[in-house]
Amino acid sequence: MKVTVVDYGVGNLHSISKGLERAGAKIQVSSSPQEIAGAESIVFPGVGAFGAAMESLRPEASSLREAILGETPTLGICLGMQILFETSEESPGEGLSVLKGSVRRLKAPRVPHMGWNNVSCSSDDLFEGIGADAQFYFANSFICSPTEKVTISETVYGERFPAAVRKGTVVGVQFHPEKSGEPGLKLLANFIRISEGSA
Amino acid sequence: MALAKRIIPCLDVKDGAVVKGVRFKGLTDVGDPPSLAVKYQEQGADEIVFLDVNATLAGAETLRAAVQKTAEQLFVPLTVGGGVRTFEDVKTMLRVGADKVSINTAAVADPLLITECANAFGSQCVVVAIDAKRVGDSWLVHTHSGTRSSQLDAVEWAKEVCERGAGEILLTSMDCDGVKDGYDIELTKSIVRSVSVPVIASGGCGTIEHIVEVLSEGEADAALAASIFHYNELSVRDVKSLLASRGIPVRWCG
Repeated sequence: MKVTVVDYGVGNLHSISKGLERAGAKIQVSSSPQEIAGAESIVFPGVGAFGAAMESLRPEASSLREAILGETPTLGICLGMQILFETSEESPGEGLSVLKGSVRRLKAPRVPHMGWNNVSCSSDDLFEGIGADAQFYFANSFICSPTEKVTISETVYGERFPAAVRKGTVVGVQFHPEKSGEPGLKLLANFIRISEGSA
Repeated sequence: MALAKRIIPCLDVKDGAVVKGVRFKGLTDVGDPPSLAVKYQEQGADEIVFLDVNATLAGAETLRAAVQKTAEQLFVPLTVGGGVRTFEDVKTMLRVGADKVSINTAAVADPLLITECANAFGSQCVVVAIDAKRVGDSWLVHTHSGTRSSQLDAVEWAKEVCERGAGEILLTSMDCDGVKDGYDIELTKSIVRSVSVPVIASGGCGTIEHIVEVLSEGEADAALAASIFHYNELSVRDVKSLLASRGIPVRWCG
């Protein structure tokens, strides 16, 4: 499986690329929206801000949306998950609108939500082989608020919010699997398996 | 469910090697960055902090190479600091594999840098390091690896950097650093209670009890330590098992 890791022009793409490689994927890093729209499988990494990331994708937002809805397996991580939704309080403008709902500021005494947190047990394939007590690394000030039934796992920090969402081959995780040690690497491997299954 | 308190080994790096000093002076070589980082990751470190103590532009290339080599083997977050002066420096560090970048001197010299970085990369990767030294009843912010005193009050400065977009504070007590007599609980608590971002306490760790103290009484979100780990006095696993037995939430790794 060849995975295209989206480069918005900022941030660290090493860890996610290495994590996916460990899971047996071939990595292509791309900043070309056209190339991304034609990918076998897409990963939107979790670095940067909503507005800036969408700015870099804007020219091809509609073909990207079509590709993702047309079952190109997609994984959005943190910010990468958030841009799959329609709007965000972080920046004006539309997201990719692949998932219904919005992104809003997390309500907690201390923000960003920074560190390792538990997530609720999920029977989804994405969490196969990952213990119910696994902890994942989060670094977020915003959370997704879906208006359709896509949440497959939740976490609690200040409030309860989605830790992972899935609609068919579209997956989003609020935490950083590439920074979450063994359970994170397992989750990336599961995503690759899901992608291969749909190919 | 609860957010775990983090245990963060710190690698002070000079000319590509990990060193450790006392009160910011007298450095001795304790190993190479990637192998120490991996060792700590295996012991259950929640994050690794990598500080270039040279903090010179001349060392930038060496630093980039060391960061890249370290990042390649880590699947836990890596924070890099020391000598980061400009927006481009922050961007470069992120590109070579840092997840967060820590700025101190440059933030004091140009507070707008904090906002600029937060807007471009997100607050979660902007860490402001505050080196504080007690003067009378308060603490003054120091820059240039602790060699210069600013006129900034540490508590006020902490509030300001948060307003400007910092996502985390790495707080070092210069009075306690390297002395191994415990963290500065009063300083830590004062900063934690003044801001709404996570605070990493640093400087003074000599025993596990010190870590327990700063995470409970000091109310810190994370504890950073260097020498207790470098000299194999303790492993991260030892620290976590004691914290867990005291009811402090930690990430457990086998």
